[in-house]
Amino acid sequence: MFDRRLIFHINWALVLLTAVLFLVGVMNLYSASTLRVASGLELDAYFNKQLLWGGASFCVMTALLLFDYRHFKALSWPLFFLSIFLLLCVTVAGKTIYGAKRWLDLGFFNLQPTELAKVAVLVLGAQLMARMGGRLGWVNLGKTLLVGLVPAALIVKQPDLGSALNILLILGGMILFKGITPSVFKVLVVALPGLLPFGWFFLHDYQKQRILTFMNPGNDPLGAGYHIIQSQIAIGSGGFWGKGFLEGTQSQLRFLPEKHTDFAFAVFGEEWGFCGTMVLLALFCAFLYQIYIISLEAKDDFGSYLAAGVFFYFFWQILINMGMVLGIMPVVGIPLPFISYGGSASVVNFCMIGIVLNVAMRRFVFKKG
Amino acid sequence: MGVFDSPNRPQIFSGPPLLLLLLVVLFCLFGIRLWYLQIYKSEFYQGRAQENRTRQSTMFSPRGIIRDRDGVLLAENTPAYALALVREDCHDIPATLDQVSRWTGQPLDELQRAFEIGRKRIKHFDEQVIVPNIPFDLVAVVEAHHQEWPGLTIAVRPKRSYAYGPVLAHVLGYVARANEEELNNDTALQLGDDVGKQGVEFVLERRLRGTKGLEEFEVDASGRVLSSRIVTQPSKGEDLNLSVSLRLQTKATEIMAGKVGSVVVMDADSGQVLALVSVPSYDPNEFVVGIGHAKWNELLEDPLHPLQNRSVQSAYPPGSVFKLVVAGLALDSGIMHPSTKIYCSGKYKLGQREFRCWNKGGHGATDFRKSLRESCDVYYYQLGERLGVSALSDYAIRSGFGSKTGIELPHERAGNIPSAEWKMKRFGEKWQGGETLNFAIGQGHTLTTPLQIARYVSSLINGGALLRPTLLRSQSPDVVGKLPMSAATRNLILDAMVATVEEDRGTARLIRRPGIRVGGKTGTAQVVKLMDKYEKKDTKEIPYKYRDHAWMASFAEKDDRRYVIVAMVEHGGHGGSDAGPVVGSVIDAIFNESMQQ
Repeated sequence: MFDRRLIFHINWALVLLTAVLFLVGVMNLYSASTLRVASGLELDAYFNKQLLWGGASFCVMTALLLFDYRHFKALSWPLFFLSIFLLLCVTVAGKTIYGAKRWLDLGFFNLQPTELAKVAVLVLGAQLMARMGGRLGWVNLGKTLLVGLVPAALIVKQPDLGSALNILLILGGMILFKGITPSVFKVLVVALPGLLPFGWFFLHDYQKQRILTFMNPGNDPLGAGYHIIQSQIAIGSGGFWGKGFLEGTQSQLRFLPEKHTDFAFAVFGEEWGFCGTMVLLALFCAFLYQIYIISLEAKDDFGSYLAAGVFFYFFWQILINMGMVLGIMPVVGIPLPFISYGGSASVVNFCMIGIVLNVAMRRFVFKKG
Repeated sequence: MGVFDSPNRPQIFSGPPLLLLLLVVLFCLFGIRLWYLQIYKSEFYQGRAQENRTRQSTMFSPRGIIRDRDGVLLAENTPAYALALVREDCHDIPATLDQVSRWTGQPLDELQRAFEIGRKRIKHFDEQVIVPNIPFDLVAVVEAHHQEWPGLTIAVRPKRSYAYGPVLAHVLGYVARANEEELNNDTALQLGDDVGKQGVEFVLERRLRGTKGLEEFEVDASGRVLSSRIVTQPSKGEDLNLSVSLRLQTKATEIMAGKVGSVVVMDADSGQVLALVSVPSYDPNEFVVGIGHAKWNELLEDPLHPLQNRSVQSAYPPGSVFKLVVAGLALDSGIMHPSTKIYCSGKYKLGQREFRCWNKGGHGATDFRKSLRESCDVYYYQLGERLGVSALSDYAIRSGFGSKTGIELPHERAGNIPSAEWKMKRFGEKWQGGETLNFAIGQGHTLTTPLQIARYVSSLINGGALLRPTLLRSQSPDVVGKLPMSAATRNLILDAMVATVEEDRGTARLIRRPGIRVGGKTGTAQVVKLMDKYEKKDTKEIPYKYRDHAWMASFAEKDDRRYVIVAMVEHGGHGGSDAGPVVGSVIDAIFNESMQQ
């Protein structure tokens, strides 16, 4: 069942890039977990936990390489319904943390069904689209969208707008990748911008506030605008060479909020400067480029769509998180892959890499020997 | 790769090219943004990061302390507590001020006004003093409620204290809170700072006041201090030793008790002032803690003007003391030989007017020595008539009158030396011949301060040097001019002054002291032209405000130490009998106990 020749076809560049990004993240987390107090430095536990999660995630990723990705087709529907079921469980018996019901308490750890839903939507979307010929017309577009809208609606209720948006954006990206008919395209180009203002009424007050604050952070520098302002100060004060590892004053003196999660990139920018951030940006682009190559070289449409889905999964997170940290997008709670601390996110990230590596290593059709 | 190669797929908005396009957009977008933040605006953000983590606080420096010539502390700094506000830490400023008003009993609107004026001048995170000098029990109350009123703190600021109060009020002056104008003119001043307002405290403000230091703290986001460093060391103000002797000053003040007037004791050779008394006086400590309206009005409306430093801020007609000046010019210019006698019949006629000598019976044949000893007015009427107003006026000005002495005290008066031109300018009237006669005996428009008289007498016995009087122990003699008088004439005048004391007919015989060479000259300055109805009466029967001012200008010399003692008693009556005893007691005080040089 597992052909040893497959090992030679593994995309080692992507593996290497993933490892480098993960290690950069761990190193940065070490600094982001450090606080300066009068007596010296104080280290939080995030750094160790992330290493443990990384190890576990790596195992999951390796396991995903063992069988052909085409088996995912059969699993796509069960996986999808499982995630819908778990999301429903959350609304009934979820654990509330920080006013949001997102977790299922499994005793030994808190499961976040949202993460599973991302994988499920991605796989099911790819499978459905692979079976549809040509570009998507109205009917096919509707079917595909429904795959995303159902879990997204459940996630919005938690509330977790960021993740719901993430799922829809992954699916949306895949739809664009697949292509839409010119008639659908024309209507959407006109209708989508027209519909956007109506979305405003569905937002919570704090979400509206975030958008308003993004427009003008100076309005409330100590309240809502604080994150945006402090983040830009951290990045900007890094200058060309940065302040040096463990030397970031914005992070170590706690001016930077959420520094080990959503704003971890700001910690990196402060300590490593323009040199560091450009290298990290280049690493991410090379990483995405490898996924692009995999999508290009996949032996079938399903593989190609899977890779495209993974591409968008990472792309949107990078765009939204960095955009937020750099002050060109509103504050949305989306982490930066590999750099932000997060156990479940780490597992999902490595699963996604596992999926594309699987597609890549099986891009050739072997004769059974 | 089938589907992407189909010819009916021209758009790049789908398939792998879409991914490549997005990749390029991502890289460019963030690359440009990073360049903007980290290179283009990096200096700005570095400044902001620095601002975030540093707080500065002013380090106060103590004001220099003031001692007398023997090292006795006259002005020192004692710790005092002030109620202060750090507005960055205060959540509800109006409510906090309201609470302060309830604690201190100060009206809320006054506190609010003071806060609004002050807040513009206070650096971020610095304490703004709201109520200075609060009592200790209130300190305890505020500390107990510290948690409820964040931002409210107790600031320890030194308070100036004058141990001898009224005795040295006119010399030391006082400090009080800087007002709006002083704050505007001096950027080093902060709201709540004390600044010299009067006396030496005012004039030597720059030397006494230290320079503030600056301390910088590194803080974290919640304001916890991680480290600190001193950016500028505060430097203490200069300590001053005054030339004044507390012992002598106290003694002279005691002698003057109940009187109104001034006593000046000066070292004739150095110009150092040993005592500078002006009575009545006030307590400078009341100004330091903020004098109330009621007390302030009381001081202002007091008919005896306790705030006035009579030694330098009041100018009086010198009366017969001025004969010392007229004599110098007359002898030096040769219009009068010392042994030439003039006959005094008790009056002198000029045209239709009759000018009387104070001695109605007349002094008879009078030479120079007798003229000064017995203060014969007729003798000086004649000198005045022969010398003329312009020569007299010119000579008096060159002898140091009519201009400030330059002592380290504020609002010193220059006095006045009249002349024909002065009168024309001032009153638009011609100078009358009779006025020259009055001028010659120190009456009329001639005005001098007690300190000017002391400086003049000093120059007579120190060899003719016109010194700038000083209140500083370390000040070396500052010769600002030369008395326009020959040594021979000076000695003749000094001999006559000694005769005035030593001889039984002398007007200053009351201050005679065995073993000490004492010389003096009395003076009686008319306040109004005495009306006939008071003329024959005793001083005690004349209403107070019409009584003459009594002068005594003297010197005392022993073992090469020369002191000048000038006493002026306002509305005291006669120089010899009223100011004389004051001078006599001061001379006793100088020589009976050992004076430090």
